[in-house]
Amino acid sequence: MNFFKRAWLSLIAKKGRSVLMLIVTSAIMLFVFAGLLINTAANNATEQAKESVGATLTLSANREAAFKKMQQSQSSSSSSRPKLTTSPVKLSDAKKIAKLANVSSYNATTSTSVNTDGFDTVSTTSSSSPMGGMKSSSSTGDITINGVTNTAQSSSFSDKTNKLTAGRQLTSADSGTNNVMIESELAKADSLKVGDTIKVKSTSGSKTYQLKIVGIYKASSSATTQMGPGASDPANTIYTSNTFANTVKGSKYANTADSVTFTISNPSAVNQVKKAGKSVINTSKYSLSADDSSYQTVKASMKNVKSFANKIVWLVSIAGTIILALIVMLQIRERRHEIGVLLSMGESRFKIISQLFVELAMVMVVSLVIAGIGGQFIGNKLGQQLVSQQTTTATSSGTSQAGPGGTTGRPSGAPTGNMQGGMRQNMSNQSSKAKQAKLKVTLSPVQLVKLGAMGFVIILLSVVIAAGGILRLRPKQILLE
Amino acid sequence: MLEVSNLGYWYDHQDNSLFNNVNLTFEAGQSYAVIGQSGSGKTTFLSLIAGLDVPREGTISLDGQDIQQIGLTNYRKHDVSIVFQAYNLLTYMSPLNNVLTAMSITNSSHQGDQQFAKDLLGKLGLTDVQMTQMVTHLSGGQQQRVAIARAMAVDAKLVVADEPTGNLDEANTKEVVNLFQKLAHEQQKCVIIITHEPDVAAACDRQIKLSNHEFVVKDATTV
Ligand SMILES: Nc1ncnc2c1ncn2[C@@H]1O[C@H](COP(=O)(O)OP(=O)(O)OP(=O)(O)O)[C@@H](O)[C@H]1O
Ligand SMILES: [Mg+2]
Repeated sequence: MNFFKRAWLSLIAKKGRSVLMLIVTSAIMLFVFAGLLINTAANNATEQAKESVGATLTLSANREAAFKKMQQSQSSSSSSRPKLTTSPVKLSDAKKIAKLANVSSYNATTSTSVNTDGFDTVSTTSSSSPMGGMKSSSSTGDITINGVTNTAQSSSFSDKTNKLTAGRQLTSADSGTNNVMIESELAKADSLKVGDTIKVKSTSGSKTYQLKIVGIYKASSSATTQMGPGASDPANTIYTSNTFANTVKGSKYANTADSVTFTISNPSAVNQVKKAGKSVINTSKYSLSADDSSYQTVKASMKNVKSFANKIVWLVSIAGTIILALIVMLQIRERRHEIGVLLSMGESRFKIISQLFVELAMVMVVSLVIAGIGGQFIGNKLGQQLVSQQTTTATSSGTSQAGPGGTTGRPSGAPTGNMQGGMRQNMSNQSSKAKQAKLKVTLSPVQLVKLGAMGFVIILLSVVIAAGGILRLRPKQILLE
Repeated sequence: MLEVSNLGYWYDHQDNSLFNNVNLTFEAGQSYAVIGQSGSGKTTFLSLIAGLDVPREGTISLDGQDIQQIGLTNYRKHDVSIVFQAYNLLTYMSPLNNVLTAMSITNSSHQGDQQFAKDLLGKLGLTDVQMTQMVTHLSGGQQQRVAIARAMAVDAKLVVADEPTGNLDEANTKEVVNLFQKLAHEQQKCVIIITHEPDVAAACDRQIKLSNHEFVVKDATTV
């Protein structure tokens, strides 16, 4: 009949008290566990985002430097209207970087727009919104052209926002041709299929081009909803070779691109290539950057989620310790007679405290099971709530950035920081990534052990805090008065 | 075996000592009855020799060693077993487990021996069913007998009991007194019983009367 057995007998005999304790400890463990789970899930999400940062580098005009230059010219000559002049990336410069070690391929992207000639665009509510009126007043056409070297490598295809549904992708072999990939909605609206030709006019109306459809792709609808007002329907985006986009933009754009994306064969070499690349280009004109914006977005939002989860864990742990300590203190009061009897038989105070601890520990084991079942549920609910708040802020701030710089070809006043050419692609890319950053709250033995350890510390602390009451008890006072 | 010298005690609010300069010797193999008026200080005296409280004056020593040196917890664990006026059983256990708990805490030589505990409870008139019920389901007299069994189950050489027969009928009283006598004479324990009952007192080897703050020892033969 050692104190373990006594603890057990006491728990069994005082069922009401035991159940009450179970409820309290389960509630504490449930929230601690939910916090722990969210924290781990946030860590995992950040890790995943880090891993999914493509091993790519993007070469584009250095907008920041250009903006500074514009401000300088603004202050020096107040008469002329300030102009943001950014130079397109020269393909000859891009090729220098492409020759560096670890660069496996590159994809030049040029965006521009044209008007339809003899077929209809797809109109959606967003394009018929008041903001849609902006299109006709500016030099922006109905059709957005993404001129790329290789469609499969462009971000919208590599992140599966866009999927090929018929025909083929555009490759470097299409350079110099008028081959085109159109969106399935557009194809449906105009009954177009692979092999057909369409005509487009330059926005000035001076030139007409005939394009041959070699592929049809489907844009995921989520991209549509993520697009800000003023952006045209993604179905009106066509993919052509980079050279064709340059031709549309004008002769001075020959052999250039808005941006060039390099695929790095070895992801860990990204920074090394970035350094080497910067040494071969004019960094005041161009910027070379790794596209980790989606990682940064996820990281930032997960940081908030984590700090909130940590606060839950700490607050509940501290509050739980205090609550349990108070309960143990009350128990010691209520059980002073029993304690006195044990003391009169020569039981050590340490063992009496141990008995109380073992009783709590037994209750804790059961509450761990309850928390194990319930914590995952609460963690999931709470986690989704937190993430949806975080992602909403992240995407809405992203969309507002897309406003001024969103449509290429339209000069815009505000610099968009790390946002480069091919803005629209980046945007839809980013929002879809942010959406992927869902918290997967899953239970693992490691986490249960962690929870058990925390529970152990909590009850240990609470018993130690309350034990003073036992040390003060004198058996004579308890038993003889 | 137990030596009380120059013992004095008073409660804080009291003007006079309950008793002072008490010198008594208790021998192994003997039973003692402590008698005296209600409120004279018998229970207080018992609490001192049982190591539940410390004397204001004087010392209590066991086989020549001051019990404070032994350490009161140690002393209670190994050297003394107590039967309380109010039984003081562990209410969340059966009588059997109460006895087993005492045997376990005191590291008794019979530790873990269920049969030994059952035999003892049986001798004190508890049925097998009663032994495994909750003690709270027993009558006062039955609880008192469990308390006595608990004190007898341990190895302690000194057994002190406060009104152990207060709630017992005549037959049970006789049986309990008999058992206490056996403890003293057959197991060479020192038994000290506080009692109001003349019959119980008379059955003990010696009587110690507490009156007017003094202990007076009488031989059984001289009663
Ligand atoms: N804890 C205490 N604080 C103050 N006074 C006390 C305390 N315990 C007992 N007394 C007083 O000391 C005196 C002796 O009490 P004690 O309990 O030793 O008497 P007793 O001889 O055992 O009486 P009874 O035969 O009624 O059990 C009484 O006057 C009592 O009021
Ligand atoms: Mg008394």
